[in-house]
Amino acid sequence: MSSRKAIIKKNLVAYSFIAPNFIGFALFTLVPMIFAFILAFLDWDGSPYNPMHFVGFKNFVDLADDGQFTAAFRNTLVYTVQTVPFTLVTSLLLALLLNQKCKGRNFFRTVSFFPYVASMVAVTAVWNMLFNPGMGPVNELLRKLGVENPPGWSADKDWAMTTIVQFSVWKYMGYYMILYLAGLQGINPELYEAANLDGCNGWQRFWNVTVPQLSATTFFVVVMLVIQCFKVYDIVYMVTQGGPGTATLVMVYDIYNKAFVYSSFGAASAEAIVLFALVLGVTLVQFRGQHKLEA
Amino acid sequence: MRILKKTFVVGIVLAMTLSFAFANGATEAPVATNAKTELVWAVWDINSTAYYKPIIDAYQAKTPNVTIRMVDLGSADFMTALQTQLASGSSEFDVVTIKDIPGYNNLVKKNMIVNLNDYIAKDKVNTKLYGGTAEQITVGGNLYALPFRSDFWVLFYNKALFDKAGVPYPTNDLTFAQYDALARKMTSGSGAEKVYGCHYHTWRSCVQLFGILDGKHTIVQPPYDYLKPYYEMVLAEQNDGICQKLATLKASSIHYSGQFQNGSIAMMNMGSWYIATQIQKVAKGEAEASKSWGIVKYPHADGIAPGTTLGTITSLSISQGSKKKDAAWDFVKFVTSSDCAAVIAKTGTLPAIMSDAVVNEISAMPGFPADANSKDALHVTKAYLEMPLNDKAGQIETVLNQCHDEIMTYNITVDAGLKKMSEQVQKIIDAK
Repeated sequence: MSSRKAIIKKNLVAYSFIAPNFIGFALFTLVPMIFAFILAFLDWDGSPYNPMHFVGFKNFVDLADDGQFTAAFRNTLVYTVQTVPFTLVTSLLLALLLNQKCKGRNFFRTVSFFPYVASMVAVTAVWNMLFNPGMGPVNELLRKLGVENPPGWSADKDWAMTTIVQFSVWKYMGYYMILYLAGLQGINPELYEAANLDGCNGWQRFWNVTVPQLSATTFFVVVMLVIQCFKVYDIVYMVTQGGPGTATLVMVYDIYNKAFVYSSFGAASAEAIVLFALVLGVTLVQFRGQHKLEA
Repeated sequence: MRILKKTFVVGIVLAMTLSFAFANGATEAPVATNAKTELVWAVWDINSTAYYKPIIDAYQAKTPNVTIRMVDLGSADFMTALQTQLASGSSEFDVVTIKDIPGYNNLVKKNMIVNLNDYIAKDKVNTKLYGGTAEQITVGGNLYALPFRSDFWVLFYNKALFDKAGVPYPTNDLTFAQYDALARKMTSGSGAEKVYGCHYHTWRSCVQLFGILDGKHTIVQPPYDYLKPYYEMVLAEQNDGICQKLATLKASSIHYSGQFQNGSIAMMNMGSWYIATQIQKVAKGEAEASKSWGIVKYPHADGIAPGTTLGTITSLSISQGSKKKDAAWDFVKFVTSSDCAAVIAKTGTLPAIMSDAVVNEISAMPGFPADANSKDALHVTKAYLEMPLNDKAGQIETVLNQCHDEIMTYNITVDAGLKKMSEQVQKIIDAK
């Protein structure tokens, strides 16, 4: 067989392996995404019987004036800014703790990972019960400890976001702990020996050996966390339903409302594009930052 | 060996790719044989609704070559789920139930349900029988649904609790002041023994809609200052422990039925759809603490006639994508007819055609409270629609819900909350 034919045959075999996944991706992800980009410039109510009208940038201009959008945008940023550092620190601490040789280490690792895999509906139902402002055990305990006005948790507009952040940190920390564990186990022990020889204490070892060695893992964790936080919907829907008022309304929740409750698919797509641009921008900045760090 | 391995690998890849072709859902409609037609009916809460089976049995007895298959889309987001299902233009549903007016408006705008004017004219259906409700869902002279159930709000009360406290039962002529005083009198105990004088479910309609009963406003008309006295009444009741706080109810997802059934509430304002549920629960022996119960007319403002209450209609439509529209119309015509009204009434549910005969039928059914006041409460002087037909109903509803939540959870004062509601709804109405 000539070498050209052999190359073509090799390529065909390769494509046939990629094909099933790519066809699925194209049909269910790529095409809808392109459609969403186009929809953002149209006005459509979602009915197959009604026409779509081209409206140019009107959907984007209307967003600027939309109270629901501004609340959602602000809340999403606040949520991300609070959840990312807390989750990062918690998962790193957990990983450091559970990297030591101790009794029942595997048990504690499983227990830490468990919230991530538990059913969202079941866990939020129990969470709401525990943090029920009137009758929940958490507030009962706080009252017994002498706190006169325990927080209203998901029913108080000042505490609702904190409740969501708390829940998210608890739910996500197991997954990122696993990533950090893998990162920690990849650190060359000779580096620690060298540090010990130089007379470093534990804290200095942590800052000068562990953290720099974990920079690649930290970068990955931060990028994934930021994307996950911008996309949050299920947690908000289950714990506070976006309330009270608009205290925990997030962008994906507002997109859902615009599309399926108000039947404005154009407005919803415009907001989705804004969210996409935001996440893309933040991720690109992070990649640039990482390149500078590594250089 | 290598060839065997290769064949094996190729075989697996082929099998995985071909599995796409067989990845259908399990719900394939059975093929119609001979003259047998199957109609698919979109409903909610099949297990807890008393009237579906009697209606289907009655229709199939009359028209044996048609079978009805129900699909339960769940009650929580029924209209949203229905819109999404119909959005693909699919022919899966023939008959669809319309649960609320904003959803109905959306379906009409999106052209997903059939204009029934021609069918109504051809079969000479008398829409006057529906007591004015058909007019309220007519859009631009066109009727897209026919009502088969009409519910209105009443006040449920637990007779056993009133007997125990030695307090006379509520009457069919309660002003809001009297209702509030009665609720305060009936509140007693603490902890597990606590009895709440009244109960407001988490829906905004349980509190907000007190304000539209004087007929001077609809809920889509700002400014909303007229709601102030009602919010103040309910917030005072929350503060004084006369009723449970919205925050608690929402966080625990407590359903009103459980609270009434376990005897912890003396009075509860709720829709007449609950009558059938309460009768069922008592009959099954699951509501011992509330088996002695009654209803009276909704409380009214001073100067307004008793029997003025909130109303809501449940209707049937035909899906635009259905391939059996004529057969579907025959079913819709039956369910909304006087014959079927009797069938519906026998289950304790109020049909859209409310005649004296129907009222007698309902009050005579076993399980319905035997006292004269309860029977009298079924007579409505005037019913105002919870939410009138409005193009922007969805957006307005979102704002009303958000502000209601904020006010009831003390996150904003009543004045500031109503001002915010008025401004935001006005903005929605003014927007193009």
